[in-house]
Amino acid sequence: MFEARLTQGALLKRLLDSVKELVTDANFDCSETGISLQAMDNSHVALVSLSLRSEGFNPYRCDRGFSLGVNLNSLNKIMKCAGNDDIITLKADDSSADSLCLVFESPVNERVSEYELKLMDIDQEHLSIPETDYDATILMPSAEFQRICRDLMVVSESVTIDISKDEIRFTAEGELGTGNVKLKPTSSIDKPEESITIELGQTVSLQFSLKYLTNFTRGTPLSEQVMLCLSDNMPLLVEYKMDIGYIRYYLAPKVGDE
Amino acid sequence: MGLKIEEVKELEPKVVEEKVQSEEEIDTKNDDGIDAEKEMNAIKASATNLVNLVSTKASDIDWEAGTPVPYAALCKTFEKIEATTKRLEIQEHLTTFFVQIIEHSPDNLLETLYLCLNRICPEYENLELGVGESLLIKAIAEATGRKTSKVKEELTKWGDLGKVAKDSKSTQPTLVKPKPLTIPAVFSKMKSIANTNGQDSQERKIRDIKFLLTACRGDEAKYLIRSLEGKLRIGLAEQTILISLAQSIALKDPGYQNLSKTLKAEELTAAADIVKSVYSEVPSYDIIVPTLLKVGVKGLREDCKLTPGIPLKPMLAHPTKSITEALDRVEGQTFTCEFKYDGEQDGTTKIYSRNLEDSSMKYPDVLEKLSSIVKPDTKSFVLDCEIVAWDPEKNCLLPFQILSTRKRKDVKESDIKVCVCLYAFDLLYLNGESLLQKSFTERRELLYNAFQEIEGKFAFARYMNASNVEEIQAFLDESVKASCEGLMVKILDGQESRYEPSKRSRNWLKIKKDYISGVGDSLDLVVIGAYLGRGKRTSVYGTFLLACYDPDNEEYQTICKIGTGFSDVSLENHFKFLKEHEIPEPKTYYNYDKGAKPDVWFEPCQVWEVKTADLSISPIYKAALGKIDPSKGVSLRFPRFIQIREDKKPEDATSNDQVADLYRSQFRNE
Repeated sequence: MFEARLTQGALLKRLLDSVKELVTDANFDCSETGISLQAMDNSHVALVSLSLRSEGFNPYRCDRGFSLGVNLNSLNKIMKCAGNDDIITLKADDSSADSLCLVFESPVNERVSEYELKLMDIDQEHLSIPETDYDATILMPSAEFQRICRDLMVVSESVTIDISKDEIRFTAEGELGTGNVKLKPTSSIDKPEESITIELGQTVSLQFSLKYLTNFTRGTPLSEQVMLCLSDNMPLLVEYKMDIGYIRYYLAPKVGDE
Repeated sequence: MGLKIEEVKELEPKVVEEKVQSEEEIDTKNDDGIDAEKEMNAIKASATNLVNLVSTKASDIDWEAGTPVPYAALCKTFEKIEATTKRLEIQEHLTTFFVQIIEHSPDNLLETLYLCLNRICPEYENLELGVGESLLIKAIAEATGRKTSKVKEELTKWGDLGKVAKDSKSTQPTLVKPKPLTIPAVFSKMKSIANTNGQDSQERKIRDIKFLLTACRGDEAKYLIRSLEGKLRIGLAEQTILISLAQSIALKDPGYQNLSKTLKAEELTAAADIVKSVYSEVPSYDIIVPTLLKVGVKGLREDCKLTPGIPLKPMLAHPTKSITEALDRVEGQTFTCEFKYDGEQDGTTKIYSRNLEDSSMKYPDVLEKLSSIVKPDTKSFVLDCEIVAWDPEKNCLLPFQILSTRKRKDVKESDIKVCVCLYAFDLLYLNGESLLQKSFTERRELLYNAFQEIEGKFAFARYMNASNVEEIQAFLDESVKASCEGLMVKILDGQESRYEPSKRSRNWLKIKKDYISGVGDSLDLVVIGAYLGRGKRTSVYGTFLLACYDPDNEEYQTICKIGTGFSDVSLENHFKFLKEHEIPEPKTYYNYDKGAKPDVWFEPCQVWEVKTADLSISPIYKAALGKIDPSKGVSLRFPRFIQIREDKKPEDATSNDQVADLYRSQFRNE
């Protein structure tokens, strides 16, 4: 038997929102320790990895590990039927799951709705992602990162990120012209969510597709701060941390522009 | 039930380009319209060749038995086929590959066959990929991180999007290389792309194509993109595929290895014959391939038979240039002449055009009429007949052009303006029995017994059993007067009078009015634009845009695209000459449709003589605009280049009034 009850159901909606543009079908892997999802986009350029710890749910029950193959578009349609304040419970039979049951409870009245989503078999390769020491790690307000990506998209399809000890620079060059945004480390004791920090082993300069980055910034509502980790010749890691877990995106850097 | 059509004429303008391509292919490799005898010799040669091979060596790429066939193995085979123009070699490569599949992964044989055919379902199901060039360009750009403008630029340079995709160096590496593609994976993705419609369908198609593209290795991208475009262009004809299918199944027959060399060759030849003839009766690989794998070639005829509901390929007639030529052919045999009606050839309940396209939607009135023409003892049948436009007031036939004005889909019986009459000339299947092996005399008798004529709705084709040139000439004149296309000459009795689906046989001859010298209209037109060539015509102009002259308004009006009638040398000469006259923008006195812009424009500098089979109304050409139809122009069907008219200046070209007259004269046969 699998059952997971989440008091803030809206979180689940936002999570789904941050994944569904990147992948269409994915396996939710359920185990004693929590729920996780890992999937690559169709072009194998980006990867999303989601982890929700069992402690975040109340209650959480999973007797043995199994996978729920879900079409995210269909799941999204059903999630739209949940109210923003609803408590959401996920239920499935872990021995022969052919559907996922979703229960939406309204906190104010007795309204309870229940939906069943048909599951599918998804053949997915699972990548093991090694823990890496990155050359540069940045923490910055997630809204700021979202804005930079959106703004530079006007100029070009790709952005170069240069990181030195005391500056982060985002540069875009396109047919209509160029654009760049510079950020300096700042810290604020009153508002820690607005601080910018750089941890640097060595300077980094890498180019990425803005289409993917803007896609990642759909995770912005999940967290005040976003973490970017970069190393030469390594995929970029973009992480949004939540109380209940994290969502991580990986993106292969671009090579030699035309 | 199955139906067919003899001379489906497609409407402009798509035809031109297709024609260009198919002609190119016929140049070197065998395709449609094959001469039966030549074909037989080719099959025999191929059989002997296979028998003499030391072993049917496996292709270079091997895979584990029971696992899906790697797409790379198919691409390797395509590559070998593309590298040669020798039919024997092509046949050998393909058969060897099929044998390997039958040994390792027989379940993939059907999908492999479809990929070779560049199809995703039987022809009569009419499902198309629906992937245009611009969609592919977008997918290639996104998958490689390149700019669309760059991809387009390369396409103009190479003329082959497949090559562009293959050579596109990706600026966007992947995190991990996807698993290699397999034949079932590629085929099922293609099928799903074809079935994608509705909201965001373009986006979803692009996503699927990107998925396939990123998984491609080496040459795979080239063939994948060409397949998606529906232009495989490796010179692989369906006949070749059918023969390889037959040969590979026969080679794997348990008894085969014990035969002598001579017998082996005979066995392979017979197998090709059986598979081809069964396919023409039941043109569905979905049925034939599993049956072959189960019962082998010998059981095929027993298990796959002409079935109402699966349209068979109609028998085609061999064109002749004169009555005497036709007579020479049938000398010493009993034969008959029939009116050749100009319409769409057809069957029952479900109506299929010659290309086996389902046109039942277009003719609900035909379906409705059927019950009244069928005699009580007739339970099931497949008819070969022609649908012709009919004028119920004057009780006469109307030209094909009228028929083609009928709506193609969702026709409601009450809205029908163009009445049609069905002219039956052959009966292929009656009350559960196939009649293909019977003589024409017998089939005709059964036809007359099973149906009854109703004036203006259903009739038997008019015929006359003549024997000399004068009688036939008189009958031909009569048929032309009755708005028919000409005559069909058919042998009545014996072996040669059997119905041979899909064969362009010399047992049926057509004497068309256009073939008779002097008929067929010739026009003098001005070249005002051109389209860049693709495939073999890369780096020269492949197709040209022609115009007639309107002296009243002093303007040139577009009339057709032309891509037929050119030799490689003449294309080069045209390119050299016209290149000098390219202009960046069309002249203000060019009247053309914005939707049919050529790649380059020319000054009015040269007049070409062009022959055409027919003229038709067209929404995208402007010739004689306002003369025939207030908003549509006239266009040429099947235009053919004859020569340059050095003696004529552009202003001396055929005028819009002359075009209108030519159009009208088509209706003045009475």
